[in-house]
Amino acid sequence: MDNSVIIKGNNHGITVILDSKMEYSKLKDRVAQKFKDSSKFLGAAPVVLGFEGRPLLPEQEKELLDIITESCDLRVVCLVDTNEARDKQYEKTLNERLMELAGASGTFYKGNLRSGQAVTFETSVVILGDVNPGASVTSTGNVIVLGALKGQVFAGAGGNEKAFVFAIDMAPVMIRIAGYLARSCDKTDKEEMKKMQIAFLENGQVCLESLNKRVWNDITL
Amino acid sequence: MSEVIVITSGKGGVGKTTTTANVGTGLAKLDKKVVMIDTDIGLRNLDVVMGLENRIVYNLVDVIDGNCRIKQALIKDKRYPNLYLLPSAQTKDKTSVSPEQMKKLCDDLRGEFDYILMDCPAGIEQGFHNAIAGADHALVITTPEVSAVRDADRIIGLLESHEMKQTHLIVNRLRTDMVKRGDMMSSDDVVEILAIDLIGIVPDDENIVISTNQGEPLVGNDTMAGKAYMNICHRLLGEEVPYLDLNSKKGILNKLFGKK
Repeated sequence: MDNSVIIKGNNHGITVILDSKMEYSKLKDRVAQKFKDSSKFLGAAPVVLGFEGRPLLPEQEKELLDIITESCDLRVVCLVDTNEARDKQYEKTLNERLMELAGASGTFYKGNLRSGQAVTFETSVVILGDVNPGASVTSTGNVIVLGALKGQVFAGAGGNEKAFVFAIDMAPVMIRIAGYLARSCDKTDKEEMKKMQIAFLENGQVCLESLNKRVWNDITL
Repeated sequence: MSEVIVITSGKGGVGKTTTTANVGTGLAKLDKKVVMIDTDIGLRNLDVVMGLENRIVYNLVDVIDGNCRIKQALIKDKRYPNLYLLPSAQTKDKTSVSPEQMKKLCDDLRGEFDYILMDCPAGIEQGFHNAIAGADHALVITTPEVSAVRDADRIIGLLESHEMKQTHLIVNRLRTDMVKRGDMMSSDDVVEILAIDLIGIVPDDENIVISTNQGEPLVGNDTMAGKAYMNICHRLLGEEVPYLDLNSKKGILNKLFGKK
C-alpha cells in the first residue's frame, strides 16, 4: 500500500500527513490522486485543513491547497499552521488585539453590587450603582463606577497595564491593575474618601488622582 | 389579601426575634389576623420572647411531616385574639424542612391570616433559604455597626437574587447620644450604604430586655421602643407616619421633677 499521503479526519477538519522523504514534485501528484480517489467519500463539507509530516514552504503549501480544492469538492475554510514559532506569534497578536478591544469596548451594568457578589467582564465596564464592601469587579479593560466604589476592583485582568479605574466616590478596599496591587490605608478619613478620582499605573505603582487635564492626556485606550 | 413577611438580618443578635414578636403583636393590636412562624429550627426563641413556651405541643416540623394538622400546632395568644404562633422544633435541625415545603405551608396559611411573619435564623444557609422561600416582603434588620451593616448588605444581595418583591430596612438599637458624638453611624449613614427604603428606626432601650425577659412584647406602650415598633406596624399597613424624635429624651431636670 502507498502511504506517502495519508488523510486523517477529526471533528472539524482533516490532517494530511505527507511522506517526509519523497520528492516534492512526485508528492504533488500523489496528493492530487489521493483526493480525487476520496472525493466521493469526503463530500463537500467546509473543513479546516492541516499539513503534517514534512516542512513546507509557503508557496508549496498554497500549491497543495489549490491541488486539493481542484481534486475534490471540499471547501477549505482555513489552513492550520503547524509551524510553532509562527503559531506563537499569532497567539500573541490575537491576545494583544483582544486586549485592545477590551479596553475600547464596554458593557453597562445597572444596580448595586453588594457584599458577596462578584462580577467579571471581558470588556471595559460602566457600573451604574455602588460597589459595596465585600463585592468585587473584574474586567480585562477599564472599570468606571458611577457611584461609590467601596469594594475590590481588578482592571486590566488580562495584563493590560493601560487600564484605569474611575469612581465618583473612590474608597476601594483594594485596587488591582494588571499585575499591580494597592490597598486602602488602614486609617481612612471619611471625607477624604468621598472624592471623584481615577486610578492608573505609573512606573509600576497604582496612582490615585483627581481628574485634570494632564490625566486625560495620559490616558490611552 | 394576605402578606408573608420575612424578618431577616444575616448577623445574629441584632433583634430579629424581638422585632418579629413586637411587629406581630402590634399588627394584632391593629385588628389584623397574624401568625408568627419561628423558622429557627433547633434554636427556638420566639415562643420564649412571647411567653408561650409552656404551651407548645406540636411544632413546625410536626406540621411539615404531617404528624398533626396546622390548626393543632398553632398556639393562640390569649392576650390578643388575633395572634397565633407556630413554634419551631428544638430537637431537629434546619435540614428537616425544605424551601418547597415552607412555601407550601405559607400558601396554606394565606387563606386564614392577614399577615404571616417568618422569624428567620441568622446566617445564609438552609435556614435562611427556608425562611424566605414563601415570602412576598422582607424586613432587613441591622444595628448601626459595620459588621451588622455588612451582613445586611449581603442579605439584601441574596434577597435581590431571589427576586424578593419588596425589601425594607429597620435600623435597630440606635443611640442618638453616640450618633451626636460621632461614635455611631446614623440611620442616614446606614441607608446610604444599603440603598433600600427605611421602614423604621428603633432606639436602644433597656425596656426591651425587661419585656423580653417577661415574655410580654412592649409594642404600643409608652416606651420609645414600644412607640417605634407601633409606627413600623402602621407603616406596614401603608400609613404615612413621621419618624420619632429620638432626641426628646428626658433631661436631668425633668427627671428630677418627674415631668414628661
